[in-house]
Amino acid sequence: MILQLEIHGELRRIELTPDKLPNRFRVALNDGAEQEIEARLLRPGVLSLQIAGKTCRCVLEEGPEGTVIHFAGSRFPYQMDDPRSLKSRRSRTGGHDGPKPVSAPMPGRVVRVLVQKGDEVQAQQGIIVIEAMKMQNELKSPKAGKIAGLRVQPGGTVAAGEVLAVVE
Amino acid sequence: MSFGKILIANRGEIALRIIRACRELGIRTVALYSDADRAALHVLEADEAYRLGPAPATESYLRGDLILDIAHRTEADAIHPGYGFLSENADFAEACGKAGVKFIGPPPSAMRALGSKTSARQVADSVGMPRTPGSVKGLASLEEARTVAAQIGYPVMLKAAAGGGGKGMRAVFSADELASAFSAASSEAERAFGSGEVYLEKLIERPRHIEIQVLADEHGNCVSLGERECSVQRRHQKVIEEAPSAVVDEDLRRRMDEAAVRLAKSAGYTNAGTVEFLVDEAKNFYFLEMNTRLQVEHPVTELVTGLDLVHLQIHIAQGGRLPFRQADVRLRGHAMECRIYAEDPENGFFPSPGEITRLLQPGGPGIREDSGVYEGWVVPMEYDPMLSKLIAYAPDRMLAVHRLLRALDEYVIGGIRSNLNLFRTILRDPDFQKANIDTGYLDRLLVVKGIAPETSPERVEIAAIAAAVFESMRSTSTGQNQPTNGSSSNWKKMARREALHA
Repeated sequence: MILQLEIHGELRRIELTPDKLPNRFRVALNDGAEQEIEARLLRPGVLSLQIAGKTCRCVLEEGPEGTVIHFAGSRFPYQMDDPRSLKSRRSRTGGHDGPKPVSAPMPGRVVRVLVQKGDEVQAQQGIIVIEAMKMQNELKSPKAGKIAGLRVQPGGTVAAGEVLAVVE
Repeated sequence: MSFGKILIANRGEIALRIIRACRELGIRTVALYSDADRAALHVLEADEAYRLGPAPATESYLRGDLILDIAHRTEADAIHPGYGFLSENADFAEACGKAGVKFIGPPPSAMRALGSKTSARQVADSVGMPRTPGSVKGLASLEEARTVAAQIGYPVMLKAAAGGGGKGMRAVFSADELASAFSAASSEAERAFGSGEVYLEKLIERPRHIEIQVLADEHGNCVSLGERECSVQRRHQKVIEEAPSAVVDEDLRRRMDEAAVRLAKSAGYTNAGTVEFLVDEAKNFYFLEMNTRLQVEHPVTELVTGLDLVHLQIHIAQGGRLPFRQADVRLRGHAMECRIYAEDPENGFFPSPGEITRLLQPGGPGIREDSGVYEGWVVPMEYDPMLSKLIAYAPDRMLAVHRLLRALDEYVIGGIRSNLNLFRTILRDPDFQKANIDTGYLDRLLVVKGIAPETSPERVEIAAIAAAVFESMRSTSTGQNQPTNGSSSNWKKMARREALHA
């Protein structure tokens, strides 16, 4: 099986071949030399990996923001990449064109709305203030442009990932 | 008397901490919960649990009337308030007394004398305790603020008398900044505490925050359990606490201990309390305030003294005498605590409530974790973001640092973001390791270094292999031969999840 995944901003090609023995694979990274590995799923999302005698416990986290591997105290967010998809092409070109959403990074309550629909905004200008866990946080515009949509009102609650405004 | 049942008027890790102590002492426990906390760990672990009300604290954990009703109905002998919420509310302590339920804490009179920062400064003066130069009463006007500031000299600090957590606080570096700082501080204090009273004190440059734990029984005995250093702070909130402090020697400790005990005794203080000081570069110490409750960071004192502060709080509230004298208190080894928060240091410290989908907790020698969460728990957005306290105990400070780093490497919190990486950055910093810290240390570190997640090519390679194995298992389990496009399957998953919620 050949997989392409983006990890730490770099696209990697991984060829993974199951061995005859259970839990064993041959793996080649970016068309490099093949290595033998053993991978055992301890429980859903927790993997014990052995690579040439090195052993590591890797934990898979799946959330609304994407998929992350945790291991040895570090987080490695990754994305499966289909080279034909629009999304991956856009992420490689930076994706500054077109409307950009401002979404809530966490669930919370809307304290203030600092702009109105149709306002011109600068990149990094504050748009909406959300309160969660006794803290107020300002959500900023991802780019310079015009507020094309505004879907919140002060006092309302928002869910993580919810699109609150669109800047075009 | 001895208690048969204690009601815990709190939530999170501290409620669980108190439940555990009660269980060890054979005392039954009553937990309380808001609608957001029905499945919280403290509810699961108590003997009895009762609903208070909706999620906001003002409709649940701050409803003293409801809490006393439940105490009455369940025939609880005592109420432990924990920290925060009603723990420093003298009116609530008084209401408990009237209702015939013992409040595990100091008497209301001592809470009132020490609760307001200005009246605490007056008590400090009466016992000859060193404090920062400045006013001991609220400032009546901007004119008075100008006069006091001119007398003590800039830079000065404006502080709310009823303050805490850095609210209603402003540093003022010159006379022309005073007017705007004065109105900002007093209106912020008015909003946060319902009292706009502010006072002024000399700003101590590069201070260390060092506090003394005291314990007093109801028979006139009061001892000190040594210091904790809490200089690693962000926005006036403690981040790492340790005991002992690297700069406190025998002589300084004895002088601070004596001052703290004198203050507690003069106010008729009983039970556990903490006297906070600022210590300047010349090792002069200045009284800051007294916290009339159990502190978040009490475990570091427990580890270096070998005592259990919650057991002792209950013993004292039952009318017991302190079972040891000052001369029996010995400090041994070094303890260090990290406050694990649901927040994202790599993204402006945004709060990160939500479901903990994955939780692997550390263990092994010298590691204590006081946690209030579990895998599957949904961290509510209504309360402060503390998930847990990770504490290391070791023979000396450097070993405690390495022990914490080891434990952090074992720790995985998934589903929400946490500040685990912040602690790795601090604990590896040479200045922190040399105890070269003051209350501005962490802000400077974040500006200079930031929290750069470390990556060696080898580690990224291992992560990539792990990701590939997970993805291959995902596709075999769904019966597909080719790996699915990760983003589209995530969208499907989200949609399915959303449909289930609706």
